Amino acid sequence: MTVSEHANSRYDTSMPKVAMGCAAAVVALLVMFSIDVTWVTENFGYEKRTDARVPTFFIRMLFLIGMLAGAFVAFTNLSYYKRNRVALAPWLFLSVGLAFFLIYVIIPIFQSISYSFTKWNGLYDVTGTWTGEWVGFENYRILFGDPNFYTSLYNNVLWLLLFMLAIPIGLGIALFLNQTVTGIRIYKSMFFFPFVISQVVVGLIFSWAYNPEFGLLSEIWGWFFCEQKINIVGNITTSCSVDPPSILGEAKYATYGIIAAGLWPQIAYCMILYLTGLNNVSPDQVEAGRLDGAKGWKMLRHVILPQLRPATFIAVVVTVIGALRSFDMIATMTQGGPFGSTNVLAYYMFDQAVGEGVGRYGYGSSIATILFFIMLIYISYFLWRMYQDEKAER
Amino acid sequence: MFPAPIEKSSAATQTAYKVALPIALLIWLLPLIAIFLTSIRPASDINTGNVFGIPSEFNLIENYSTVFAQTDAWNYMLNTLIITLPTMVVAVALACLTGYALAIYRFKSALPIFFIFVAGNFVPFQILMLPVIDLSNRLEIYNTVPGLVMFHAAFQTGFCTLFMRNFMKALPFELIESARIEGVGEFRIFWHLVLPLVRPAIAALAVLIFTFIWNDFFWATVMIQDDASLPITVGVRSLNGEFVQQWQLVSAASLLAAVPPVIMFFLMQKHFIAGLTLGATKG
Repeated sequence: MTVSEHANSRYDTSMPKVAMGCAAAVVALLVMFSIDVTWVTENFGYEKRTDARVPTFFIRMLFLIGMLAGAFVAFTNLSYYKRNRVALAPWLFLSVGLAFFLIYVIIPIFQSISYSFTKWNGLYDVTGTWTGEWVGFENYRILFGDPNFYTSLYNNVLWLLLFMLAIPIGLGIALFLNQTVTGIRIYKSMFFFPFVISQVVVGLIFSWAYNPEFGLLSEIWGWFFCEQKINIVGNITTSCSVDPPSILGEAKYATYGIIAAGLWPQIAYCMILYLTGLNNVSPDQVEAGRLDGAKGWKMLRHVILPQLRPATFIAVVVTVIGALRSFDMIATMTQGGPFGSTNVLAYYMFDQAVGEGVGRYGYGSSIATILFFIMLIYISYFLWRMYQDEKAER
Repeated sequence: MFPAPIEKSSAATQTAYKVALPIALLIWLLPLIAIFLTSIRPASDINTGNVFGIPSEFNLIENYSTVFAQTDAWNYMLNTLIITLPTMVVAVALACLTGYALAIYRFKSALPIFFIFVAGNFVPFQILMLPVIDLSNRLEIYNTVPGLVMFHAAFQTGFCTLFMRNFMKALPFELIESARIEGVGEFRIFWHLVLPLVRPAIAALAVLIFTFIWNDFFWATVMIQDDASLPITVGVRSLNGEFVQQWQLVSAASLLAAVPPVIMFFLMQKHFIAGLTLGATKG
């Protein structure tokens, strides 16, 4: 075999492999579609149909993977693939992940937007027909007259604005901790702690801390406004000049209380971003700044902050997203109450769509759509910035 | 280094700093410390309003074992684990593939596809909620652990791809180029050359996804109604309703839910922070 023949044979279609791959893929596909929950329930001896759902899913996944493997073998043995390897390989690498992401994330966005023009409770009738009806912009018309919507929107703005405090506070703590004394690493990780804990747990911790009867805050409150007296019988009674406020129980404080709780982990996140950023600040420039007589605040503003811009950018992005995604804390601390005063769009949507006794898929979707478009402003900005970076790198 | 290193300042300042550090930490972690103290108190302390004082009895073991004995806490933990681990494996594995495609190959749609992953990663959950419920219903996996895992894995693939792609972009491209000239197949290059090089990224993603999914509350609430398959975050919240005013038990359960991610963080600190601060130093 000459060199050129050898080179050509590398690009030949290997018919047996292609045929086998195709056959395997087709068989796997057919089997996958013919197996359903009813079949598994009957043939594997499950008593209830619901019990058979998970096994059915696994069996079908197995055949789906088989189908993909077969198709992969068939395709990579075609001479067409072999000749255009570098152009086609990326699509093979992408296929599964991209399809998965499109099905579960990208397509649902458009589905949600389309739901928002319907009135639907999420159900299908026995024949599998959709039971909703198309109502055009009706949901949005109701939404724009809904006081709860405006409360939620207002709270969302509050969250966004107050959450931004996490950035300067995080920077402050980072500056405080950016030293090299012994044990500082432990301190840094301890300060980061709140971010690692689940938001539900943070919510519970703060619900307890805010509790006016035996919480942390009432205790501290007591140091300033209350005194304990021992009456004649010997019992201790506490009397306060001003009673401790019930933060989560009063509409005017509740949202602020939850935001303060949410800030705790968020500050930790911003702190770690800035600590990493400070680590990479060029020592030469700091030295040069010192020689020019820059100190303290001036140095921070003119030498350090410009170098921390990437960290600030990420901090803003994660803080905005954190603020607009606030759900867990509201769900644990107030569930939107008292009287809907702590609702944000994220929670109000959930409440309307799948909350107890309500099943307003269409209305919920219209709230989600509004929230999505608010987020889209930030997403577009982020992508635009990324695009500029990519262009610069090329 | 900024601020100026403390060693260069006077002895008094240095001492002041060293004193200020633990005090600052104490204030910062005050809610956590207080909740820990609460979790080891007897019920009587709570009723008399003993928040900071020394517990009148140390009920560490009693309180925590009550949580395990009276509730399904153990089950909830196991559920979280069987939700978290498969999600971690699937999302990271898929992201290695997609990240490789988007970082190494230069084709026109690489950037738009990358942006699809990035954008999808930031959308509010609520816009996905109803269609994902509907889809899971049609696949007959709604209200099951695999149903939740499927969604988590798909969604996290977005973040993992963002991370992997940027990590792989920094690899020396000549290495891959020369392997190609040697005639090594694309999948061999991926498996034998690139994968060993991105091990740190895989580790970072694994810890991050572990923590994200362990702490997930929203999707678990939405996708699982069955008490037997609930994860710990949802479980702990419902315990809050069960143990009305028994804060020592609520706090014990909350702390239990927080332990695994905290351990994970301490073991893999370097990777964890590297993952979170991705991009914070670039540019």
